[in-house]
Order: sequence, then structure tokens, then C-alpha cells
Amino acid sequence: MTVELLIILTLVLGLVSYFMGRFNKVYGAVVTIIASMFVFISVGYMANDILDGSTFNYNAVKYLPVFATFTVSYLGIFFAILVTFVFAMVSFFNPFFVEKYKYPAVYNMLYIFSLAGVLGVFFTDNLMVLFFFFEFVVWSGLFIIPLGKSKKAAVSYYAFSTAGSFALLYAIFIMRDVAGTYNLYAGLASVSGTTQGTYVMILLSISAFSKLGAFPLHTWLPAAHGNAPHPFSPVLSGALVKLGAFVAILALVKLAPVGDLQSVFGSYTDATFLYASQYAVAILGAMTIVFGTLMAIRQDDAKKLLAYSSVSNGGYILVALSIGGSVGLAGGLYHIIAHALASAAAFLAIGAVSRVTGTSKMSELGGMIHKMPITYMVYLIAIISMAGIPPMGGFISKWLIFQAVIDNGLILIAVAVFFGSIGSFLYVFRPLAALFLGQELPQHKDKAKIPPFFMLLPMIILSLLIVYTGVFPNYILGFINDVMAELGVDALVIGKYTIQGPNGVLHPTLVASVFGVGVLIAFIIFIVLKKSRKVGLMDTYTAGNFIYTEELMHYSLDFYAPIERLYEKYINITEDFYKKLENKVVDFGRMVKYFFFTNKPEVTVFWIVVIIGFLLWGDL
Amino acid sequence: MSAILLIAVPLLTAFVSILFKKYSHYMLIAVSFLSVFALGYMDLETITIGGFDAPFGIVLILDNYSLIGLYLVNILFFIVAVLNCKEYKKLSSILLVSLAGLNGLLLTGDLFNLFVFLEVAGIAAYLITTTNKKPLATFNYLVQGTLGSSLYLLGLILLYAMFGTLNMSDMAREIGTSGYGAGVTALPFLLMFIGFGVEAKLLPFNSWAKGILASSNSLSGPMIASVYAAAISLVFGRLLTNVFVIEGTLLTIVMGILVFSLVAGEAMAFSSKKVKEILLYSSVSQAALVVLVFMTGFAGWAVYLIIGNATAKLVLFLVTNIAAKQLGDDEVDTFKGLFTNNKVVGLAFTAVTLSVVGLPFFFGFVTKMNILENMFLSGAYVWPALILITSFIEGIYFIRLLLNLWHTDGDSPEVKFDFVLKYVVVVIAVLTMIFGVYTKPVQDSADDLVVYSITEGGNF
Repeated sequence: MTVELLIILTLVLGLVSYFMGRFNKVYGAVVTIIASMFVFISVGYMANDILDGSTFNYNAVKYLPVFATFTVSYLGIFFAILVTFVFAMVSFFNPFFVEKYKYPAVYNMLYIFSLAGVLGVFFTDNLMVLFFFFEFVVWSGLFIIPLGKSKKAAVSYYAFSTAGSFALLYAIFIMRDVAGTYNLYAGLASVSGTTQGTYVMILLSISAFSKLGAFPLHTWLPAAHGNAPHPFSPVLSGALVKLGAFVAILALVKLAPVGDLQSVFGSYTDATFLYASQYAVAILGAMTIVFGTLMAIRQDDAKKLLAYSSVSNGGYILVALSIGGSVGLAGGLYHIIAHALASAAAFLAIGAVSRVTGTSKMSELGGMIHKMPITYMVYLIAIISMAGIPPMGGFISKWLIFQAVIDNGLILIAVAVFFGSIGSFLYVFRPLAALFLGQELPQHKDKAKIPPFFMLLPMIILSLLIVYTGVFPNYILGFINDVMAELGVDALVIGKYTIQGPNGVLHPTLVASVFGVGVLIAFIIFIVLKKSRKVGLMDTYTAGNFIYTEELMHYSLDFYAPIERLYEKYINITEDFYKKLENKVVDFGRMVKYFFFTNKPEVTVFWIVVIIGFLLWGDL
Repeated sequence: MSAILLIAVPLLTAFVSILFKKYSHYMLIAVSFLSVFALGYMDLETITIGGFDAPFGIVLILDNYSLIGLYLVNILFFIVAVLNCKEYKKLSSILLVSLAGLNGLLLTGDLFNLFVFLEVAGIAAYLITTTNKKPLATFNYLVQGTLGSSLYLLGLILLYAMFGTLNMSDMAREIGTSGYGAGVTALPFLLMFIGFGVEAKLLPFNSWAKGILASSNSLSGPMIASVYAAAISLVFGRLLTNVFVIEGTLLTIVMGILVFSLVAGEAMAFSSKKVKEILLYSSVSQAALVVLVFMTGFAGWAVYLIIGNATAKLVLFLVTNIAAKQLGDDEVDTFKGLFTNNKVVGLAFTAVTLSVVGLPFFFGFVTKMNILENMFLSGAYVWPALILITSFIEGIYFIRLLLNLWHTDGDSPEVKFDFVLKYVVVVIAVLTMIFGVYTKPVQDSADDLVVYSITEGGNF
């Protein structure tokens, strides 16, 4: 099936799901599963076919206007498979949540629409079509977010995304002006290395930053991810944010870097330099990592925590892509996969908990492991990957990124990158402890139960994949090498079970085996030794402390208060900046209203006289 | 069929309808419907009136440009008339006069005749706004409108004294061949620009707009913000592209006015908390954008922009004013959750708003992208940036408004929309979506519209 047909069919399925949803909410949501599975399988089939060397023309355009052209590139396939997979997995959650929405049919339709938009972005080679679908994704997501908790979040999502899209649009115009065509590759090639190329790179970076939620354009992301409907948060974090990574690749890899420092400082020192633009993005990426981590540590809402962790992981992707080279780029691309899988799984796990308890605040939850053990395992695996601990996918990508950072001698950035990794230990385990472990709260005792099979299924598949990406990364890295070859970057050296970095060789499978043996031993000990006795909460005989009610005694609330105190004064600086900017616009508007919109015609006459006087005054 | 009937018939019917007050609203409907219908039978031609050849006599020009304008204005007028004819029966005769005035504005090829129709349409507009029951605002509008047309007349007198002609194309040619520099014609053109600026709601000549539109009803709101705005913008465009010579200091002034209107309009809308105010300030900005597009020379796209804005404003003002009347005020807070019980109207309203904001799959996207592209490729790099920044602000307040209208924490207000209105808004919304996807006809015809095929008329 051609790309064009696939997009059109997806849009039609979106309409079908709307009308189905009007008829029956749940059936409408089932259509979203069918549609996104269908799209995922089609894309997978397409990828497989192309990798096998098929000559079928997937780019043919028959029904859309002539300027809408498509090119199935390795890069496009890479992103499309990942994102459609996340959509497909998350869609299984839709039927279980859709009844709570105010406009369920609209949700179903927009869910599929954003899928269609994503396909368009990844597969087109026409810049205008790219922008079209980019904006389409923005507005279809825009109306889903307020179905969750907050309208404001949707507005700020729109504002930042639109700022990004408009930056992209202006960059597109510059490329169109130089290249004389809207072709993506021709446009990028024509400006690469020129003065206009600098502008294009800055504009595309703004676009990528705003989409990816990187500092300083990150403020929308926690609000949007934290407040979106539960099944849409994983889509936002695992799929839609990756549009930013896609644009970042265009800006950082496809365009020649700007600002040759080697020629300026090369005579004074033997150190090798990256380009100035690479440093700039890497530093902003590093700041994103640090800010995301620090903010995630503070959160009480598990979804907000994961949202800030997405911010921080976006920083990793930016650092990796800006450093470039085969290790850096491979690390970045692998991190895109690892984070998409992990954050989707983690958000789904939290969503499954919130579905039964109605809250995702850690301080209001506890002991969910007793009733939802599989969900607990899913979350555990996801956060191990997020924290970059073997044997999960996140470890591989972080290892590659560390290698790239250290190999380039970027000490400060390395500090940020390591800080982010350690910091993620601090925050990702808090929901684990607060939400899943500990006391089982009386108010949730009756409600909590094992989620239905179709909710467990995607979570389990995601978990298995996270483990797979950590144990056998080489198949995917092989595909990433194809992508990199297309981007003109040398391939990463991989053996059958090894990855060659500049500073050593990684044996992921071996690491995983050792890890597996350790887990096995621990499990045997757990089985052999005497079982712990379950006691009620009131049974505190040995604690020397008498409890009267089964209330929550949460040790995870304000757990990191001493650390938080170090920076809590400064956390609102960026938000305040945007708030003040908004207020300035409002003030200006009010001022104009005050001066010009009076009920006095003489004011108008005054201005007319002033203007005529200005003309008659003579030449400027 | 002669285009002169488009002016003569409504005017005649207006006088006749005074004699048959009971049936006047039927006459209004019949005439406004017939004029839409009759447009299909008109040949593109230039009509000399009274047998005096141009440039001595008055000419009416029916070319592609005025035809598309006439279609737009007459259709919108018909819609507004149908929706309001029962409630505002008394105004039927006045509405007929205004129809004659608007058609005349679009058709005329004579600068003085233009003034006459401006006054005719203007007087009708003042009377239409009396239905707002805000006499002071109407009086303010009257004073400013009259001031504007007087300035137009003053500028025209100066031009007449200089060049001795009133025919548009003759005037343009005289100016071209006279050898006067732009400095000499700057004053009359500025006066005329201001005159039209008052009607077209450009800052700082538009203080009437708030009084009129912020308290408008389902007749005056759509009439002034949509029908009148479209007609005035189209005529303004004709003058800008064909007659006016704007250079030097005048260009600085005009650009200053436009940039200020564009930015301040969006900022004012952004800072407003009433639905009608948001709409009216955003139309200030849109009017400036239309003028800007005309000035940069993309008349075809400016026309599509006018069409998009006029149809959108029709829907937005209709829905808002009907809801405001039933709810008592038009605070955004009162409107919260308005569409939860009126999904059909809500969807149409949303589609139209998204089109105004310029999001893909809607008509507004097509026009906006083409305007930006053309401007950028013609080497004007600043305008696209400015337009993008303003549409960024515009997007935020419109999206905020939409989300407020769809979502509420409390009870949703109960508002009833009648069937005809639903039908109208849905048809307009569907059309914006169709032409947002099927762009070929728009794309192809825009280039044909660029040049206004001015002919002097008659046996000249």
C-alpha cells in the first residue's frame, strides 16, 4: 500500500471511529485499536519489504494534489515504525478510558488523526506537506489534551507547538527561496553551510526544542503530559514529542554545523573542537537534562514526574544528536527508541493505576503491588530502562551517549549527563516506592484489581521489548546503521553480541546474563527462605507506636526536601518569564484600548490631525 | 442583464416597501435573493450610465473582481437578511437601501460616485446600528463615519482640481502621465486612505468599532463585521491597487498604520475577556492584514482572505450574538461550556475559528500559506515574520476561547439556536473544510484575480 493511500485510509478510519463513537463509545475506541494496529502493520510490512530490496513504489501519489510527494526514507521508517508502534500499543487502553471523557467520539477521531499526521510528517519529502501535517498533529492533539484535567495545559501546548511550527515554516520559506523548490533534501542541501543555513538551523532548532520540550521551551510539556487523558500521555511522550527529534535530526545532522572553532583556536591548543552550533545545542541539551531532573525530583504527581523525565530525556537526545559522529548519533537514535518504549510503558502503568484509583498523586496512593503485581513489574522495567541500568534498552543508549560525550572531552556536559542519570535514580524509584510499595490504602483497597487482559497485553509487550532492546540491541543497531548511512554518517561498529565504543567494548548480552543470574539467585533465596508474614496495618506490636487509624504514613512525601530546598527559589524562572511576556502583551492591548477606544470622536480627529501633520511636515 | 439593476431594484423596492410596510420583509428577502440569482445572468462588461461616455459619465464596472465581490456580499447579505427579517421587520426598507449602496460601492468605476454610495451605505449602516439601542455609540459611529467620508471627499476634490477627472482608470492614467511626483498626490491620497481607514476599522480611526460591535445584535453584528467589512475591504483594495500611488513619506505612514493595527489588534483581542470584543479586535487586525496584502500586490489572495474572513465573521458574530442575547452578556465566563449542549453549532464554530487561525484542512490555511509564500518569495522577509507573530497571538486567544466554549467545570448554559441558523453555519463550515482540502480551484483562480481589468467604459 502506498504512503498516500495509507494516510488517506487512516483519515477515513478517523471519521469512521467518530461516527462509531457517536453510536457506541467503546466501539469507537475499538476502531482506534484496529486503525492503529493496521497502520503499524502496514508500516512494518513496508519497512520489511524495502529492507528486502523490493522495488514497489511506495511513494506514488494518485489522489492528493501534485505537490504532495512522499519518499520512504530509512529515517522516516525508523521514526514511523517506532511512533506507530507506540500508538498501536496505547490504543488498547482507549476502550477502557473513553467512557470517562466528555467527548469520546471526538477523542477517538483525533487520536487517529494525529496518527495520520505523524505518518505524513515522517514520509513526505515536500516541506510544505511536512508543515501541513506538523500543524495537523498540533491541532488534533490540542483538542485531546483538555479532555483530561486542564484547559490551560492545552493552550500552552498550542502556544509552544505553534511557535515551533512557525519557526519551521519560516525556515521552510528560506529553503524554498534558496533552493527554488519545496523538496526537503534539496532545500536542506542548498542552504547547508551558507549564511541562510545558519538561520535555517536556528529556526529548525527552535522548532525541535519546542516540540521536544527542551529548555527554554519546555514549560508546556509537563503541563500537557501531566494533564492529558491517561492514554494520551504515553502517546505525547512516546510518540508526538519524537517529532521534535525528527526535526532536530534535520537541523543537526542534515545541515552542516556552523561556527568552526578549530580554525579560530586550533593554533593555540591541541584539543579538538566541535563546531559552535554543536556546543550551543549540547549545552542547552545538558541544561535541559539538569532542569528536567531537578524538577522531576520535586513532583508529587507521578505523571508530572514522568513528564519532567521526558524533558530530561529530550535533553539526552539533543546532546547526542548535537555531538553527532557515529557513536553519538547512534546513541541518540537508540535513546529515541529506548525512551519511547520506557515512557510509554511507565505512563501506561500509571494510567492503569489511575483508572482504578482516580488519582496519580503519589501522596494519595500506596501498596498497589498487592492488587496489580504485573503493572508493578511493567513500571519497574520501564524505570530501570529510564535510569539507564542494565539490562534494559536505556542502558545501551546512555552508554553510547556517555562514550560520545567523553570521547569529545565535554567535561561539563558529561557532568550534566551523569547528573541526569544519577538524578533519575532519585526520582523514578519514588513512584515505585510510594505508589506500588508500602501500605495498601483503605480507600483504594476494594477498587484496585488486576487490569483487564487487553490493558496488560500492550504493557507486557512493551516491557518485553524494553528488555529485548537491552539484551540484544544489535539487530536494531543494524537498522540504525542503515539510517546513519542514509544520513551520511559512518556506521557504528557492532559485532554479533558486542558494541564497539571509542573507549571500550560493550557486551550487552553478557551483562544481561550476569544480571539474570543475579536475579535468579535472589529469586531462589526468596523461594527457599521463610516467607514473611503478612500483617494488618494496625498490627504494630513491635514498633512501640500505637496506630489508631489506617491512615497514610508516607515516607515518600517531601522525600528529597533537603535537596529541593537548594533550588526551590529558582524553579519558576522560565514559567515566570513566559507569564510576564504574556502580561506584557495584555498590557499593551489594554493600553491601546485605553488610548484609542474611547467614546469620544475628538480623539480620532486628534490622531488624524497628527498623521496629516506628520505628512505635511516634510520629508523624513 | 445589466448590472445596474443590482443597484436600481433594491433602491426602488426600498421606496416601494415604505408604502407596503406589512410586506416589506418579504420584499427584502425576495430582492436580496433575486440579486444573488441575477448575478448568474450578468455578463462581464462596463456600463456607461446615461449615455455619457467615460471619462465624462459615470461607469459601472463588472469584471471578475467585482463579480466575486458581488457574489460574496449578496450571499452574505441574503443570509443575514433571512435570519433577521422577522425580528427586525421595521428595518427592511433600510436594509434594501444598504444593499443598493453596497452593490454600488462594488460596481462603481467613478470616484465621486463611490463617495455617494459610501454615504448611502453609511447612512443605512448607522440606522442598522440603532438596533443596538446604544444611541451614543451610534452617534459616535455617525460622526466618525461622516468624518471619514468627508475626508475622502476632500481628498477627491484635491485630486479633481489637479487632474480634472473622476473616472478611476482615467485618474490613474492622468497621474501616471502628469509627471507629478508622489509628494504632490500624497495629501489627497492620505485623506482618502484615512477616509477608508475609518470604515475599514484601521487603527487609530476605528474607535467607533467597539461601541458598535461590542453591543451588536444578530443583525448589526454580522452586517457590520462581515457584510460591510467585506464590501469596504474590496473597494479599498480596488483603490489601493489601481488608483493610489503610495510612496515616500506616505508609504511610511501607511505602513506604520498597518503594522500598528495588525499588532495592536491582536494584542487587544488577546487582552479581552468578552467574546464580542475578542472578535471585533481580531477583525481590526484582519482588516489591516487585508490592506497589507493588497499593498504588497497579491490582490487575488487578498480577495480570498476577505472571503474567508467575511464568512467566518458571519458565523462567529451570529452565534455569539444569539448566545449573548439569551445569556444576558458576552463574558467568556458566561459562555463557558456553551457548546456542550449545542454540538452541531459548536463544531461549525470551531471549524470556522480554526480556519481563521489558519490551521491545516481549513480554507484559512490555504490563503495564509499562499500569502506568506508569495510575500516571502517577492523578497519581503519582514512581513511574513510579522504576520506569523500576529497569527501566533491570534491562535492563542482563539484556541483559548474555543476550549472555554467546549469545556466547563460547572453547568453548561442553555442556548437555543434555530434550525435555519444551524443550517447556515454548518454549510459555511463544511465549505471552509472542502476548500481547505480541495485547493485546486482556489489556487488556479487566484492568479487570474490579481489584475483588476480596469476599463474606462463606454465607447471610449
